[in-house]
Amino acid sequence: MMFRTRLLLVFTFVIVAAVGMVELLVQGTTRRAFESVEAQRARALTQQFQKEFHRRGQEMVRAVNAIAASNEASDIAISSDPARYYDTAPSLAASHGLDLLELIAADGSIVSSAEWPARFKYREEWITATVDWKQRGAFLRREELPEGVVLALVAVGVTTAGDRRLYVTGGQQLDREFLSTLVPLAGMRVLLYRNLTNDFSPAELIDAHGPVRDAAPLRPLIEEARRGSGEITRAAGLEYVRAVPLTDDAGAVLGVLLIASSRQQMVELESSLLTTGIGVAAVGILIGIVLSWWATARVTRPVRRLAESAGRVAKGDLSTTVDIAGGDEIAQLAAAFNHMTGELSAQRERLVQAERVAAWRELARRLAHELKNPLFPLQITVENMQRARERYPEQFDEVFQEGTATLLAELAQLKQIIGRFSDFAKMPTPEMQPLNLNTLAAETVKFFEPQLAQARVSAGMKLDPSLRPVPADPEQITRVLRNLVLNAIDAMPEGGALTLRTANIEGGVRIEISDTGQGLTPEECERLFTPYYTTKTHGTGLGLAIVQSVISDHHGRISVQSEKGKGATFRIDLYGTPSDR
Amino acid sequence: MAKLARHAALALSLLLLSSANAATRPRYGGTLRVETRQAPETADPPAFLGAGFNITRWEAGHRAVYEADDNAPGGRPFLDTVDFTLGRPLREQSIDLELGKAEVVELGPNELRRQPAGRKLWSSSPVRILVLVFSPRFDDPRVREALALAVDRSAIHAVLLQRQGEISGALLPEWLSGYAFLFPVAQDLTRARSLVAGARPLTLAVEDPAARPIADRIALNARDAGLTVSISAQPATADLRLTELRIASSDPARALAGIAAALGVPEAARIDTAESLCNAERALLDGFRFIPLIHLPDVYGVSPRVHGAPGITELGERRFENLWLEGPRP
Repeated sequence: MMFRTRLLLVFTFVIVAAVGMVELLVQGTTRRAFESVEAQRARALTQQFQKEFHRRGQEMVRAVNAIAASNEASDIAISSDPARYYDTAPSLAASHGLDLLELIAADGSIVSSAEWPARFKYREEWITATVDWKQRGAFLRREELPEGVVLALVAVGVTTAGDRRLYVTGGQQLDREFLSTLVPLAGMRVLLYRNLTNDFSPAELIDAHGPVRDAAPLRPLIEEARRGSGEITRAAGLEYVRAVPLTDDAGAVLGVLLIASSRQQMVELESSLLTTGIGVAAVGILIGIVLSWWATARVTRPVRRLAESAGRVAKGDLSTTVDIAGGDEIAQLAAAFNHMTGELSAQRERLVQAERVAAWRELARRLAHELKNPLFPLQITVENMQRARERYPEQFDEVFQEGTATLLAELAQLKQIIGRFSDFAKMPTPEMQPLNLNTLAAETVKFFEPQLAQARVSAGMKLDPSLRPVPADPEQITRVLRNLVLNAIDAMPEGGALTLRTANIEGGVRIEISDTGQGLTPEECERLFTPYYTTKTHGTGLGLAIVQSVISDHHGRISVQSEKGKGATFRIDLYGTPSDR
Repeated sequence: MAKLARHAALALSLLLLSSANAATRPRYGGTLRVETRQAPETADPPAFLGAGFNITRWEAGHRAVYEADDNAPGGRPFLDTVDFTLGRPLREQSIDLELGKAEVVELGPNELRRQPAGRKLWSSSPVRILVLVFSPRFDDPRVREALALAVDRSAIHAVLLQRQGEISGALLPEWLSGYAFLFPVAQDLTRARSLVAGARPLTLAVEDPAARPIADRIALNARDAGLTVSISAQPATADLRLTELRIASSDPARALAGIAAALGVPEAARIDTAESLCNAERALLDGFRFIPLIHLPDVYGVSPRVHGAPGITELGERRFENLWLEGPRP
């Protein structure tokens, strides 16, 4: 990834992160504000419920006490046959506006029941407990009705006539009518869960209109409140819900009052904030991209120039320099770069010079070595001829004949040596034409068949039939292959195997010449293509240098892979066009 | 002046004495207004009255008017007319008696305890029986027995029936058969609970709305035993029904035959001894298809204007030929 792109991404990320954080901050603040308001509203409604609850309780107490103080209650209390009054409670309950009313004898047996008339003579043991019912006031209680258990707000009154006693217990159900008396603020609703069963029962969740259809969202909250976790406020669906457990004296949860406040406004505001935030972020990102594009362009321009210059240096142009403007870090970097390229250029000059000197020395050494060998026979031959003329004139002609033949032979060898040097110096420009390396490889092997046989070397070819033709000079490539094959034969004095392989590679073709000879050390591999370097006892050391020169002229690449004692493989890659490969 | 005052006082005393004698002395004439819950809608009127009267008007389900038979074997009744209003609820009958709109009305337990002290009442022997009758298709005798054991008859008798009648463990009342119980009448919830394992809910039909409280109490008792009983208004589909049967004869064998016929079971072949009667009745009750609850008397509230011997017999038959009505006070 380009530095400029990376910089652009960083700028964009910073802008998005900043906008996102602001958005989150605003949303969080808004939510907290809403929650605070909703909590206040819920508290107000809870207080209203508690007041209503208290007021209803007072009403219960008054109604029950009025019944307890009535003549009818006294008559029942003193009656020797309470059965006569078994249907009294319904009319009393109706006249006092009570849903529930039971008249209970001192022993706890029901004399008359408004809510369940058939329960006469059943016992209500709880009412005979030692409780000051007058002080007790109204309280919540589960009441059993023919239709099932209900939750009720009840009070107990006591009629005492002499030593006789009659309990009057009356109350009202906590049902939808009770809830309908509460007046919630707009956007709020009051629900009541009557905790009458062991498990959560959706049917027991009611509001002012009756059973609530979808109780599922409130279930977790109710379950938690049922476990006696105290008052809980939590978001449930699109509402904030405050759950207030309604307990009896023993702390058992008999019901859960739920005050739900719509989060619709907050959700809409959040949605609006989100939309605005996205819009602002989008604009910010756009502006940020433009600004960061401009900024990064300014920042990266000198860096890019440096990179381009470095590229040119990498390609060998050591004269490249970078303009220095200002005194910042980039300018210092440019100055260092210019200094470095200058140093590199000077070093290369020195290296070239040194290499040139070394080459001349090597050439002189090789020339001396090559020329010394034929010169010594020449000198011996001339001295023999002089000695024969002085000492053995009668044999001079014969010696002369032999001497001149030797001189001519040595001169011919000198001429050959000079010719090879001349050839290396005058490497012709390759004449490119489509060339099938498979054909050339086969011809080369065929050319060397006698030598291969004599040297006990078996030749093998693994040629790719789909090998593409490659532009090359057939004469020069033939020379290359012959040179490499000849080297391979020389490397296997005890015989071995020669293998030629061809293959297509990306953008070109490859040919490999492998032998099973004595191999090369890494140092030898490194110096193998140096002119006048040879590992053989004969030769000029120009063969592989010429090979490398030819391959280089063909824009190709030659390399060697070898290990001492395990043979060597020369690999030539030809591409036909100049490349950076 | 004082002598004149003494004469006036004597004359007033004589007038009052004369008036009192006229109120207690039988007299002819008048229409006796009678109200009843019964509302037969048959084309032919049932026999509401015994000898001495002939029916002159019949409006099925609404009204029946009888007039004195001048040629009655026992002599002409004192009353000229007996006017029956049919299908009148018990509570309204009681109100009509209170308001003077009727002279003879039926009284249920609730109405009976609301009557003012000194109210003139006619009461028969227990001649009706409240009985739970299981549908023939209900085949679980254990549940039937459980229900029989679950019912708290004493509470029903003491409270709902205000101690009218007798707790019953047989179809025939004791006064008729001479024996009391063929059936366990004490509530035994423990045993009842042991019998109802896996029982399905039952439906109980109530034919007379006045008997609904009794049905509710039975359902409550059943609930205590672990049986779910719901009250239904559809006798045809109900598992059992609460019904009232009348003892139609003072002959125990014929009375039992009548009950068997009403219950839709075959009559016993031959009943000529007390033992065979007992066996026949026991056979009827085996399997708990019929659960007798309470034997009830017929009870009438009577206006103080009505004089003469009680207008009903031990079997609850109406006998109005010796009644007369007090004339209006001057």
